[in-house]
Amino acid sequence: MWQSIYEEIQAEYPDFEIISAAQDTGGEADAGPIIDAANVTYTALIDVNHHISALYNLVNVPSGVWIDEEGRIARINEGTYATTHFNGAIGTDEYTPIVRDWVANGWDSVHAWDQDRVEESIFERTPEAERAQPAFRLGSYYFNSDNDAKAEQYWTLAQELDPTSWNYLRQDLNYEEGGSAGPAWQQRRQEIESAGGSYYAPLEIENSDND
Amino acid sequence: MSPISGKHALGFCLALGLAGASATALAQQNTVVLYKERVVEIEQTLPDASELWVKPEDLTRINDFELKPQGACLEDLCIPVLQDRDSDMYVTRGGQGWFNVTGLADRLQQAWVADYEDGVWSFGMMPLERQSFFRGGMAPDFELPDRDGNIVRLSDYRGKKVLLLTWASW
Repeated sequence: MWQSIYEEIQAEYPDFEIISAAQDTGGEADAGPIIDAANVTYTALIDVNHHISALYNLVNVPSGVWIDEEGRIARINEGTYATTHFNGAIGTDEYTPIVRDWVANGWDSVHAWDQDRVEESIFERTPEAERAQPAFRLGSYYFNSDNDAKAEQYWTLAQELDPTSWNYLRQDLNYEEGGSAGPAWQQRRQEIESAGGSYYAPLEIENSDND
Repeated sequence: MSPISGKHALGFCLALGLAGASATALAQQNTVVLYKERVVEIEQTLPDASELWVKPEDLTRINDFELKPQGACLEDLCIPVLQDRDSDMYVTRGGQGWFNVTGLADRLQQAWVADYEDGVWSFGMMPLERQSFFRGGMAPDFELPDRDGNIVRLSDYRGKKVLLLTWASW
């Protein structure tokens, strides 16, 4: 679904690029067919170790980061669906228009955040949670070495070290009975939401009346 | 055959070959170090229950740090390391120098997790790579292979506006 948006924006602004990074320990076998089916022409990476999520402190998918021509971040850490799914139960169709506005207007876009806002929006991790990344990486190494017992051991450790990461939880659940969106996931989501939290980092669209 | 048992076998042969040549006891199995996308196999390490000691050339294979007279260096950064006598970062055994990779990680506040049983050491990101991210809002660079195996770096896209998206099949 990003492909048509990419083509449309790129036709007018050739210096626009999408880099997508599949957070998939299962690699090409899991993510490849989806990329092929979408006839993707933007840069599509398969990030088996969830490195991008670790690097940018992202805890869920899909997440988005806007990066300008000099490598400066203009927005970060939002649930970024291109369209709505399941009759609006998931996602928003508000995101694509603001991407388009940023590509057209750069830092003059009302949707481009200043440096303070970007820094405030970076998800904070505890030192313990920083250890979750090498633990998850170790589990993925064992997963791809067909050592399921140790994969489970270190993926469980990663979830204990960083309970805020939905990615670590759901990647693991994907290989268990019930799957990544099964009862275990639903229970966790309900716990968070009934405590006043939100499953996706909230998408807060600025009012563009004064454009 | 699992990759782990294969490494055990190789490490065993290696230890036999060296037994007569040196008084230095070496670890009995190959060590594997994970850092970013790298899977680095190390043939010889110093036996140590809780720290990872490697030859200076292996340090560079692991994380690009180079041991120079002034210390362990990555680009402009140098962590001072004494090399004319033993320290918690560097020791000499039988004429061979050994560098403490986990000691460097601790000094850099780089998180790591090890499976001591199999000799697999996994290192997290170095905070120094993300200083301008947390204070400055600059996008940290990364290197990942594309589906054809070509390395893609974010810095290859300077001059373009990039929408970086994560997703997953699960």
